[in-house]
Amino acid sequence: MKYWWWKVLAIATFSYVLLAGLLTPLKSGIYSVDKTKGLLGSTLSLHVETYNTYMSSALQNVAFLKLSDNKVIRSTSINEINDYTAKINFELPSELSTGKNAERATLIINNEVDGSMILPNAILLKQDTTLIKQNGAKWTALDVASLFPNKGFRFPYRNKLHETIRNTFFHVAIWFAMFILLIIALVYSIRYLISKDLQFDYKAAAFTNISIYFGIIGLITGAIWAKFTWGAFWTADVKLNMAAISVLIYAAYWMLRSSIRDVDSKARIAASYNIFAFVVMIPLIFIIPRLTDSLHPGNGGNPALGGEDLDNSLRLIFYPSIIALTLIGLWIANLTYRLQIIHDKTLEE
Amino acid sequence: MVRNYLISSILVFLPWLVKADSLDFFRSTGKMYSVVAVVLVLFIILAIYLIKLDKRITQVEQNKKHES
Repeated sequence: MKYWWWKVLAIATFSYVLLAGLLTPLKSGIYSVDKTKGLLGSTLSLHVETYNTYMSSALQNVAFLKLSDNKVIRSTSINEINDYTAKINFELPSELSTGKNAERATLIINNEVDGSMILPNAILLKQDTTLIKQNGAKWTALDVASLFPNKGFRFPYRNKLHETIRNTFFHVAIWFAMFILLIIALVYSIRYLISKDLQFDYKAAAFTNISIYFGIIGLITGAIWAKFTWGAFWTADVKLNMAAISVLIYAAYWMLRSSIRDVDSKARIAASYNIFAFVVMIPLIFIIPRLTDSLHPGNGGNPALGGEDLDNSLRLIFYPSIIALTLIGLWIANLTYRLQIIHDKTLEE
Repeated sequence: MVRNYLISSILVFLPWLVKADSLDFFRSTGKMYSVVAVVLVLFIILAIYLIKLDKRITQVEQNKKHES
């Protein structure tokens, strides 16, 4: 137990990830709006449901419909029904004056308690050609300085994702940890082939073993996340299928090891297969999904690990989570390896 | 036996524990359950690995006993 500190680090970091990752609230957001269209020149009355807000205790609720920074309509009135629902009235100007017939406007609600909530492309504003009323409502510029800022440490609110954004700390981090452990396994496999020292083979086997478990966790957690955001546990998506294939390729490593009796040829074949499996995994997971369309973030023009999907507040939990899960994997691989050594010794005696 | 009993009792009581007060914003959209499920899956699969490791250690221990 000379080098025990990293085990304590693993437990402490993962406890931090669980506590901070599950207890930090989301930012306020707009959950639903009852209308998607508005006729220009008329009054638009919206029934809005918000998430994680205190609208009835806020005194300075204000809403905007925004086309661009210079084209904004301020709400005429807001009736807060409770903390999470409100009726908002807009007096729409009679013309878009952009040359277009219709344009999507972003809905913004702001108050001093919750800060700003934004629903992009919420309302389609349409020109009414039959009747052009002049109601005096005009586009104004958005005075950003008058908006109340968001307060406190909070995770971003994303439509459709909602609370599931916390799965980033587990689903994404376990794939990262798996990848790090597989690199370690690859290094040990190469070292075995160079030195023919059996302890490197045992280490490579231990790391590959726990990596496959991590991969299975990644697939199942991904399926659960997909069910809550895409509506299905599994779709015929490239990223999903390729990830499943690469886990299966590694699962074949298990069968390969258990099917060969002779220790030396087992170690040699397993080490070569491990190198093959790693080399195959890289195009399967990192290259092919990027070449085509995919629902999964990080592929085919679908950026990940940036923007609002992984902002700095999420990074504060996400990176420690990768470290914690990698250390837990190291720990378990270490136990498996030590057991294998003892197993060998008992057979020799 | 004891382990099976424990697991099934946790599974029976889980919905009751979770539904205690389900009207707060945290669970209002139902998506918090996905995070709970993801953390549970992570833990259960790691636990399966540990149970397998446990069995292998028992095997090695018994091998040693037979020899001595």
